[in-house]
Amino acid sequence: MIKKYLSISFLASFLLLGFACEEVAPVLNPTDGGSGSGGPVSEQKRQVVIEEFTGVRCVNCPAASEAIAALVGVYGDRLVPVAIHAGFFAQPYPESADAGLETSTGGAILTFLGEPLGFPTAVVNRRNFDGEENRQVVQNTWAGYVAEELAQDPTVRIDLNSAYNDATGNVDIEADLYIDQNIDFEDVRLTVYITESNITATQLTPAGIDENYKHKHAFRTVVTATEGDIINENLTAGSVINRNLSVTLDPSWVAAECDIVAIVHQGGAVLDVIQAHHIPVVE
Amino acid sequence: MKCYAYIICILALCAVIPTVAQENGGRLSGSLETNANFFIRDSLIGAANIPQYDRQKFGGEGWLNLNYNNWGFDFGLRYDFFNNSNLLNPTGSYTDQGIGMWYIRKKIDRLGFEAGYIYDQVGSGIIFRSFEQRPLLIDNALYGLKVDYDISDNWKIKGFTGRQKQQFDTYDSVIRGLNIEGFVQGDSTSNWTMAPGFGVVARALDDASMNSLVATLNLYPEEDLFEPRYNSYAFTLYNTLSKGIVSWYVEGAYKTDDQLNDPFGVIVRDGQEIIGDKFIFEPGSVLYSSLSIAPPKWGITLEAKRTENFSFRTRPQAQLNRGLVNFLPPMARINTYRLNARYNAATQELAEMAFQADVRYAPSRKLSFNVNYSHIDDLGGTLLYRELFTEVLYKHKRLWTFTGGLQIQNYNQERFEFKPGVPIVETVIPYFDFLYKLDRSHNIRFEGQYMATGDDDKAGVKQDYGDWVFGLVEVSLGRNWTLVASDMFNIDPGKNSPIDDSGERQSLHYPRFDVYYTTGPTRLALSYVKQVEGVVCTGGICRLEPAFSGVKFSTNTSF
Repeated sequence: MIKKYLSISFLASFLLLGFACEEVAPVLNPTDGGSGSGGPVSEQKRQVVIEEFTGVRCVNCPAASEAIAALVGVYGDRLVPVAIHAGFFAQPYPESADAGLETSTGGAILTFLGEPLGFPTAVVNRRNFDGEENRQVVQNTWAGYVAEELAQDPTVRIDLNSAYNDATGNVDIEADLYIDQNIDFEDVRLTVYITESNITATQLTPAGIDENYKHKHAFRTVVTATEGDIINENLTAGSVINRNLSVTLDPSWVAAECDIVAIVHQGGAVLDVIQAHHIPVVE
Repeated sequence: MKCYAYIICILALCAVIPTVAQENGGRLSGSLETNANFFIRDSLIGAANIPQYDRQKFGGEGWLNLNYNNWGFDFGLRYDFFNNSNLLNPTGSYTDQGIGMWYIRKKIDRLGFEAGYIYDQVGSGIIFRSFEQRPLLIDNALYGLKVDYDISDNWKIKGFTGRQKQQFDTYDSVIRGLNIEGFVQGDSTSNWTMAPGFGVVARALDDASMNSLVATLNLYPEEDLFEPRYNSYAFTLYNTLSKGIVSWYVEGAYKTDDQLNDPFGVIVRDGQEIIGDKFIFEPGSVLYSSLSIAPPKWGITLEAKRTENFSFRTRPQAQLNRGLVNFLPPMARINTYRLNARYNAATQELAEMAFQADVRYAPSRKLSFNVNYSHIDDLGGTLLYRELFTEVLYKHKRLWTFTGGLQIQNYNQERFEFKPGVPIVETVIPYFDFLYKLDRSHNIRFEGQYMATGDDDKAGVKQDYGDWVFGLVEVSLGRNWTLVASDMFNIDPGKNSPIDDSGERQSLHYPRFDVYYTTGPTRLALSYVKQVEGVVCTGGICRLEPAFSGVKFSTNTSF
């Protein structure tokens, strides 16, 4: 009796569940990410910003930082990384408090973009992707969402120019936005960050506390309003929007390691990024 | 659009049900559960820096469940709402509402079907279990169709297909399964029975998840690359053999090659080892057995489980409690007393070898003993968790009842919470529970526990949060009212206890006061709570379980 019914179930399994050893496998293209350079503004392709939320007490975050480094290795300047130290795991260790990685502005950006389920986490082009609970997505999805965003054509190209005064630490930033297609979103904004790489500060790692950890792309400050400066001009194809901004770098920051990050994005409830770009402060 | 059409149909049905119900003898039943949390910021204990404490001040959730039976049909509908709720994400805020579940069931002779949100399992759930667990906001219902057929009086076959629920949406991967279960017994002179079963569940990965997986794999070094598969199949064969006082359950499950996330994966880039999330491609297996023996006055249960690479999720990118297709039975005792339940052994999906023995002996109605021992290693022999739990219960002339015992734990915090370099947490917890009946409807109950924690030699202080003491007084006033006051006190702070401005570790109190009112099927609870925070790192990501400070009000009723 048992044998009979189990035989029936085995047979039914094969029939109903469509077992097959063969299926057409997806094609892997290791490290084939397309252009690794942003190039001149006239040839600028779609560029994607990844805002990673991290912390010096987050043991899983160094692996996430390396995952972003691997993405940068493939996509080059087309990927714009920002590591924002915010949230519970960003509380500095006493010996590294001077590094100033955790900032109140970083905390405000975390609140603005939404709280994650855990750390490390990142927001890719500020999009709330289908199937995700909010904008914050876990590390093993970043590559997919970055590739998905990079596959689109840019509707805006961003040209950035920087003039750094070594004596005063002042940086004058000129941002020109070249509109390639009509943009009829009600609320479009420009957000500009300053980031710094190669900051030596304590970090918890799977091997223990590393006092000489090199932090990359760490968010330092926002030059515009935290939620972005509203662009009031008509964004019709062919027009060029110009913005001039200025910021003074903190004396503890190394200008040669700092980047200017510009993000053109929607405002209001939808924050999707339209285009991003970054250049070094000292060119 | 189709979804809305279904919902409109269901609502229309419900609208006519009250009148029809009375005419045709249908039955309408249901239940309501609500939680309202008022958040009071207390940065000293860490109840701060989440939206509810900082600006929202209130969060709540509720479920209204309706069931109706008539004309041979069963209908069900559940309305869920979440307003600034911290249940989905303890550090975030979730707001949404709508039809959280509906179903239609019908039995036509030997054929049955169910459409809508299906809660079911195959065997013990090792290859498939769709279930709801509200305290963690797990709701893994399968949104689809199930058909079953009674082959004979004792044999039944069922097949199902659908997609897994994700709040008010669904994941895109398609799940399909088949299960046959039977019941066999010996002739009239024998006293044995068997309940064998076989099941198979398959998951076809959706294109978006596969594209995301491929994009991630493209970044891997060549030696870590693999060709992912859309379809993964999990099989299980199980049986319960009962003879007299002995009942033996055994289940073996196998899963074909599947892409899994290894939170402790190692990727070598430029000669540097990076430990963290990494996709691997492995087949999986689980062997689980449970033997129960119940001679007079005794109750003995022995369990063993071996797990290897058996993470089965609707998409490999899902982590923590998201997208779980199956359920692996836990192999440690589920403790209820506050301090006894502080350290829990989370089920390990990728590598676990676990044993558990539970022995109960009741020489008389007044006296009983219970000893439980559980031991969990990974497959390399590293200790993950070990617990010895003892309990003595004595009832004195229906006047008072004493329960007491000792719990000893070894908890691998480094592995369960991904805290590098921390020692295995060792705890010794004596506890008691004393219930005294003042009269027929008035009781007073006392509860006490002390958690002595081992030393962290490297840090020179107690491990984790150090020693705790917990006390509780509960007074039942008649049938309706129950008052409870308790306090959890960090009597000897440890390495992770909060530090004040002077650098001293603080001994903090976490009091709680509850008032319960019960009338018929309705229970109302009003509580003032201060609850200690905790950090949990599993599945490659760290999650803060924030401290709670505030007032809770909850309602439960059925009709």
